Amino acid sequence: MKILITGAASTLAKEIITALGAGHQLRLMDEVAVEPQENVEAFQGSLLNQDDVWTAVRGMDAILHTGEPPPNLSEEEQARDQQLLDLATRGTHQLFKAGVEAGIKKFVYGGTLDIFRSYSDEVYISELWKPLPDPDMPEMSRYLGEHTAREFARDFLVTVTGLRLGKLVYEEEVAGQTPDLLWLDYRDAAQAFSQTLTRDASDQAWWTARWAMYHLCADIPNPKYLINQARGMGYQPTHNFEANWSQDGGLT
Amino acid sequence: MKNVLLLGASGLISPYIIPGLETDYNLKLADIKPHPDGIPVDMVDVRDYDQVLEAVQGMDAVMNFTVLRHDETLSFHVNTWGAYNVMKAVAATGIKKVIHSGPAQTLDWYKHDMEIPVDAPHAPTTDYYFITKHLSNEIVKSFARVHQIHTVCYLFQGLTHRPTERVTKQSVRDFLIIYDDLVHACKQGLELESVPDYYQEFNLHSHYGPKKYSLEKAERMLDYSPQENWWEYQSRTP
Repeated sequence: MKILITGAASTLAKEIITALGAGHQLRLMDEVAVEPQENVEAFQGSLLNQDDVWTAVRGMDAILHTGEPPPNLSEEEQARDQQLLDLATRGTHQLFKAGVEAGIKKFVYGGTLDIFRSYSDEVYISELWKPLPDPDMPEMSRYLGEHTAREFARDFLVTVTGLRLGKLVYEEEVAGQTPDLLWLDYRDAAQAFSQTLTRDASDQAWWTARWAMYHLCADIPNPKYLINQARGMGYQPTHNFEANWSQDGGLT
Repeated sequence: MKNVLLLGASGLISPYIIPGLETDYNLKLADIKPHPDGIPVDMVDVRDYDQVLEAVQGMDAVMNFTVLRHDETLSFHVNTWGAYNVMKAVAATGIKKVIHSGPAQTLDWYKHDMEIPVDAPHAPTTDYYFITKHLSNEIVKSFARVHQIHTVCYLFQGLTHRPTERVTKQSVRDFLIIYDDLVHACKQGLELESVPDYYQEFNLHSHYGPKKYSLEKAERMLDYSPQENWWEYQSRTP
């Protein structure tokens, strides 16, 4: 499959490339130059530039839109917030619109589980719960990007999958730390992105079948964020922070 | 009198409601372009947070009637980013009342339905106008909840002057509001002491006839109703 991966300079994208393996033709897109790799095409461009987006989607079969911002964001808060919002909303719209017009059928968007942090840790959260995003831009922008992506499943005969990601870490890098209900290992997140490519609902008459949403977290003893729905598409996290949870008593 | 900032004062709506509001409120008018009648307007671009922050100083309430409908870039910048700047400035200055505005997010998706409640799930589609305004609704809702800003969002689809003579052989439009009614709704919204969950949306129109878009919520929570029986102007018999 020919796959465009956005936010390609991010750690998440690097793990997705590894998870996809050698069986695909990959095009990596980011605003900064991405280190070229064997059999992988790198494309430096912005989601906010229509010409760049058109070039990026041409000839592709699927788009894995990680939602990860480029590393060259402004250091000034107001400018950075505007960049994040513009990339997540207008950038996602521009990317998916070009993709639809280029004949691409599979789209994946990387959102965040942060939008449920307002709920008490005493509840079990599934995809059926209403998000309560805070206005903080890193969280709000990912939420709005998800809404933007979803509408393409409503309007067009394409498969759009939203992945709400927990807090991305490497298991070995948080060894000894107090565990976090939101932790998700980069490698497991990457595994899920890869698995979404098997989803094909483009010919479904009902838009609710063309759109799907999955929550992604580690498989921990007593989770706040349930991952049963993702298990249904084959998600099996292998980095579950057992050492952190056993040290903590396992039921925090 | 309350100090009220009206953003979008020179647009397609505000010039027609300002005369009805300025008798009861100290209006501060703001836009990026001059008022069509030459009324002084502060130049405020909602895309510029510093300008918005300066404009909201000393205000008791803010009415955001800015909109850019179908431009692929400006619709995001004015409708979505603009809404973010307005709510951020409102939160930063402790203002507790906002009137936001937008189109009903049910127009296309529920096109063949009747008695459509205002709280039907949004179905904005990918249309620039609807998706960018929908995203603004999510932003406004979040700021309202987190910062306890009592916020009403008025949804309408078409505005017009009060009728002055009978019209025959024409149906009224299903979602059209007469400016006098919008003035009434704005006053009701500005005087509303509290808003459940800090954010509520209201269908607003002027005709009970077609029974397509429900006004029940506006009647119940805002004590809104059309100011005259406009229907009579289109009665088959005089």
